[in-house]
Amino acid sequence: MMRRSKTCPICEMGIRIVDYKDERLLSRFTTERGKILPSRLSGMCARHQRQLSRAIKRARHLALIPFVKAHSR
Amino acid sequence: MVSMSRKYEIVYIFDSALEEPQVNERLTRFHELLKSADHPEPITDISRWGKRTLAYPIKNREQGNYVVAQFETEQRLLDEFERALKLDEGVLRYLVVINEGLATVPTTADRIERDSDDDEAEVGLEGDEEAE
Repeated sequence: MMRRSKTCPICEMGIRIVDYKDERLLSRFTTERGKILPSRLSGMCARHQRQLSRAIKRARHLALIPFVKAHSR
Repeated sequence: MVSMSRKYEIVYIFDSALEEPQVNERLTRFHELLKSADHPEPITDISRWGKRTLAYPIKNREQGNYVVAQFETEQRLLDEFERALKLDEGVLRYLVVINEGLATVPTTADRIERDSDDDEAEVGLEGDEEAE
């Protein structure tokens, strides 16, 4: 279980604008099934959470990240 | 009336069955549509990611040829441009967005990978301390 960190992980990385083409970054903030991780769990600030959700939706459209990830057991 | 010109970014996903010259021919044809008196050379940056596996199949294709281009053009030219993209069977998918000053290739990828490893280690430690 991911703990809520005190500061926004994106701010800490020094990223101002979340890039929808950066699928490695985006996939860090999705669940194992590919859902967008709530900011409640990631500690993301509101501004970056908004940017992230838009970026993830764009990346899904471009088939960079899946809409639904198959469950691997 | 001043013509409205803006900076945009487009990601093309071409059919991986297309050869390099066929892709180039399409790019030239599409970019021709963006030219105007104010912007005779609309393309400011272009980067070819090459073939990569799609996260899910599109039109029964498992692979796509990605090209990212940044351009500056007038809004009125975009409709005709997007129409040409929709009609072309060789374009599996595309996305036009306002250019927010991002690079055509995510340059931060490597740095993030390293940072994320550090972060996870730190979070893990903090978690243990709080739990005890």
